[in-house]
Amino acid sequence: MASRRGRIRFNVGGKIFETTATTLANAGRHSMLGALLDDSWNPRQPAEGEAAEAEYFIDRNPACFAVLLDLLRTGELHVPPNMPEKLLNREALFYGLLDQVRAARWGPFDGNRLQLVDSVSGRAPGDGTAIRAGPDGGCCVAHGSMVHVYDWMLEEHRPISLDYQQVNDVGYIDAESIVISARERLGKGDGGMGVFSSSTGELRHRFRVSHYDQVKSFTAGALSLGSSDYKIFASCKGRCNEYGIGVWDQITGQQVDFFYEPPGCCLGDADKLQWLDGDKCLMVATLFPRTDNCFIGLLDFRDKSVIWSWSDAGTSVSLSLDEKRVLHAIAIEDSRSICVVNQYDDLGFIDLRSNAGGVRWSSRSKLTNRKAPNEESCYPKLATHDGQLFSSMNDGISVFCGPERVLTSTLRRSYGGSICDFSIGGDRLFALHSEENVFDVWETPPSPII
Amino acid sequence: MSAQKKRNFKIEAFKHRVELDPNYAERTWRVLEHAIHEIYNHNASGLSFEELYRNAYNMVLHKYGEKLYSGLVNTMTGHLKEIARSIEAAQGGFFLEELNVKWGDHNKALQMIRDILMYMDRTFVPSNHKTPVHELGLNLWRDNIIHSSKIQTRLLDMLLDLIHRERTGEVINRGLMRNITKMLMDLGSSVYQEDFEKPFLGVSASFYSVESQQLIECCDCGEYLRKAERRLNEEIERVSHYLDVKSEVKITSVVEGEMIANHMQRLVHMENSGLVSMLVDDKYEDLSRMYNLFHRVPDGLSTIKDVMTSHLRETGKQLVSDPEKLKDPVDFVQHLLDEKDKYDKIISKAFNNDKTFQNALNSSFEYFINQNNRSPEFISLYVDDKLRKGLKGVSEEDVEVVLDKVMMLFRYLQEKDVFEKYYKQHLAKRLLSGKSVSDDTERSMIVKLKTECGYQFTSKLEGMFTDMKTSIDTMQGFYSSQYSEIGDGPTLAVQVLTTGSWPTQPSAPCNLPAEIVVICEKFRTYYLGTHTGRRLTWQTNMGTADIKATFGKGQKHELNVSTYQMCILMLFNSADQLTYREIEQATEIPPSDLKRCLQSLACVKGKNVLRKEPMSKDIAEDDAFYFNDKFMSKFFKVKIGTVAAQKESEPEKQETRQRVEEDRKPQIEAAIVRIMKSRRVLDHNTIVTEVTSQLQSRFLPNPVIIKKRIESLIEREFLERDKADRKLYRYLA
Repeated sequence: MASRRGRIRFNVGGKIFETTATTLANAGRHSMLGALLDDSWNPRQPAEGEAAEAEYFIDRNPACFAVLLDLLRTGELHVPPNMPEKLLNREALFYGLLDQVRAARWGPFDGNRLQLVDSVSGRAPGDGTAIRAGPDGGCCVAHGSMVHVYDWMLEEHRPISLDYQQVNDVGYIDAESIVISARERLGKGDGGMGVFSSSTGELRHRFRVSHYDQVKSFTAGALSLGSSDYKIFASCKGRCNEYGIGVWDQITGQQVDFFYEPPGCCLGDADKLQWLDGDKCLMVATLFPRTDNCFIGLLDFRDKSVIWSWSDAGTSVSLSLDEKRVLHAIAIEDSRSICVVNQYDDLGFIDLRSNAGGVRWSSRSKLTNRKAPNEESCYPKLATHDGQLFSSMNDGISVFCGPERVLTSTLRRSYGGSICDFSIGGDRLFALHSEENVFDVWETPPSPII
Repeated sequence: MSAQKKRNFKIEAFKHRVELDPNYAERTWRVLEHAIHEIYNHNASGLSFEELYRNAYNMVLHKYGEKLYSGLVNTMTGHLKEIARSIEAAQGGFFLEELNVKWGDHNKALQMIRDILMYMDRTFVPSNHKTPVHELGLNLWRDNIIHSSKIQTRLLDMLLDLIHRERTGEVINRGLMRNITKMLMDLGSSVYQEDFEKPFLGVSASFYSVESQQLIECCDCGEYLRKAERRLNEEIERVSHYLDVKSEVKITSVVEGEMIANHMQRLVHMENSGLVSMLVDDKYEDLSRMYNLFHRVPDGLSTIKDVMTSHLRETGKQLVSDPEKLKDPVDFVQHLLDEKDKYDKIISKAFNNDKTFQNALNSSFEYFINQNNRSPEFISLYVDDKLRKGLKGVSEEDVEVVLDKVMMLFRYLQEKDVFEKYYKQHLAKRLLSGKSVSDDTERSMIVKLKTECGYQFTSKLEGMFTDMKTSIDTMQGFYSSQYSEIGDGPTLAVQVLTTGSWPTQPSAPCNLPAEIVVICEKFRTYYLGTHTGRRLTWQTNMGTADIKATFGKGQKHELNVSTYQMCILMLFNSADQLTYREIEQATEIPPSDLKRCLQSLACVKGKNVLRKEPMSKDIAEDDAFYFNDKFMSKFFKVKIGTVAAQKESEPEKQETRQRVEEDRKPQIEAAIVRIMKSRRVLDHNTIVTEVTSQLQSRFLPNPVIIKKRIESLIEREFLERDKADRKLYRYLA
């Protein structure tokens, strides 16, 4: 009998394990061990008249099985120091327990309990452009014309590129699909935007833009992925009057809308797009325009209107170096405001409820401490997660909490130079350093045993 | 030196890949293919799961995933084609059974295959954008079985036929139906919708269209509704038994549309059984059914509501204009209340206390009650009647109920100030004649009016009560101070009424008998002595008196009469016969009142303490009156009432009307001044609307009258017209 009162015996690579059906049930239906149980989660009974097997023989590594069985028993993962992670992950994949392993590795994201777990160095020739966290804990890094893709085990997959054109932005549609936006090559019809498989790196779909029923090539800039209605937004630059924001459907890949740039607003050059679910509108921030002023606006696509806008026109007439310039912006829907940051790492807030408000700076840089930004340092970036606000400055990331945005933690690494981009997703934070092409992975450890 | 032979070195590339058994993939696939065959042939128990899992794992690991996947598709398709043939071969009723059995088998097989190929499902399928095994199995089943030309139409016809049979009363195998529809749902909502639901809804629509046509020809409204309700419940039950939950809304809307919406008007207006006759006959059950069914279709309830409203207005108008009913105010109001009770009950019992119906009821009542401009008077008379005698021996709660109902009618009145006028009159009569049943009830009515219309409305009514109370105190004070001087002369009870609070008609005082005048004078000196700066006027037309009289055979009676009658009778103490003129001269009672008094003293049978010559019903100016010493009565106390008009006569009505109009003038003016004071400048139309809204709680002012009041205010220089725009008025501080 393989089972006696719910007990099950395994012979894994010659070593005997004995466990219960309830422990195996923790593996779930979609795993090899779960498939050994019948519909009511009991061990399968042999048919009448057949000799019951004494044990299940599995031709696998017994040491790893021991670790995984322990995971099923306790929900915790304890890897012996001599066991390579890669080995364990491979075995977990065989049994279909990879999801359990990942869930046991790190806990729900909390900006104040982050630990540095890994630093991965790349071998890209140039500076990094962007890093994006995937929904399952993986990430991708854009350098020049290449995008390097890492899964949650930080295994590198085949790099992605769109006709080897300069990549402007990347984003995850889901764990399996990455969209990248790239510069066009004039007259060739290259560049634009494409969706790639994150595991195989193959190009699955290329987004098209048509103006007046004619397909045109374009340069795609910032991306935003609307989560609720499966849309992709991208700032697009084409010929003279083909500037604006393009909208595609995530599922069909077809263009569904195009918001042409109205006079006085730069949309085609936008540096940041953010879809606001509650208000059903898109925030567009153009902070490094070629000619005009900085512009932040909220677009309503239903009636093609700019429902709110802010510009630094007039304030930056005297282009002195000391002038506070907005370098990055993020909309915080809960507090109905847009948070911005300047070259001195001051946070500022713009009220979304009034249309003519200025920036309310909450100065945290002391006047004495203020050093002129040198060429080497990177522009600050902002991110939010679950009510916490994150801001990168030089080689560290600050965490602010609460409605008053109190500084609660700082994340810093000793090498790699200043942080040029960071991203939060899949309960992890990835920070990309500019000099050494290193990115750091920060995660929250699982909750301690009581 | 021999020509150096150039030796060609051939450097062999290092073989990265160790050659496997070239037939490895083929062999492994054979094992798996065999296993799939065994699974479909119900022979799975001999298979080793671990081994098969490892084989599938190895194939994927060694990059034979594509082979494994396409092999699976081919093998499964082959099996399904075979299954399709066996299902097609099934005869008649066994067709569904066979389909169901095979579907169960396929599902089991699919589960096992998926378990074996789980590793492929996890790694190869997502990265190569293939359909996962389970879904693949369902898709293949759909394409090879459900959409096979020989099965598709047969399946649909069979299902629809079964449902039709169930509708006509046969019993069908619901379990089988449930399994088949469940299969269609499992194959994806689009399969269920396209291959079953749409045709099902179409067939249902035509079925119910025919049935409803037949029913409406032969059934009355109530019966039709009962049948429609049963059909609706059947469909809901059907959905719960063997259809998708989402179909419930669709099929019920089909039934509702065909059976109710299409015949709504006809049902409601059906002769002898439609809505009107249900309302008349209080058929709560039918009404409730109609409400619940019509509730489901658009415009259903508004149809009911409209018919009910027009019926109510029609009957209400008849009621208020029926000359028979107008004769008796109490009966009139009682009818209104009964009507209201009836519909309240219908709404609460059958219409789920629907707010819109309550509003319709209220607006209908408001409409027809105000059609008759005597309604305020009648309602007040009804209250008067109840408070005089109607509520004797009734518990306090019941009294409250009656009063609340009256208040409800009161709310419908537009001319609340007219009601107030009448109520004041009636209350004054009740208080002065001491006819009121209970002081508490009176006060409770006042409180109700106060909560309804505010302090201002009832301040005078409350003043009347205060007067009554202070009068009692005054009389006590009077007697305790003057006790020694009065002796045993006539007893006097004076009610001191504040001018303005009471609806007093100015009347000339009559000549009181000498005995009375003495004590009246004493009271006057006492009262003016305690309250300086006041003036007392005697309202002799409103008092009463108890007098003791001794008749011919020594019979003693106590007569309860009015003050006027008392004056007349006192004259007979000194004379046995008096002519009309003599009486008029002696008492100076106004002729109309005098005639009425004499009539009640001499002409009412059983109470004729006077005798008249000649004996006729009416009083003429040269009649003579005698003391009737043959007067007989079995009661010791005899109450001689004045022949009093309860309902107002036509000229009186005119007079009250005029007084009401006169009272409204200052109210309208006050409202205009209040509004202008805060707004300073306003145009004519806005003033009219604002005044109307301010005064609405009391009455509905006529715009023409408002205009007149504005003109009067301009004359008196409260307002002025704007120099540029004649329509604008300015307030002059």
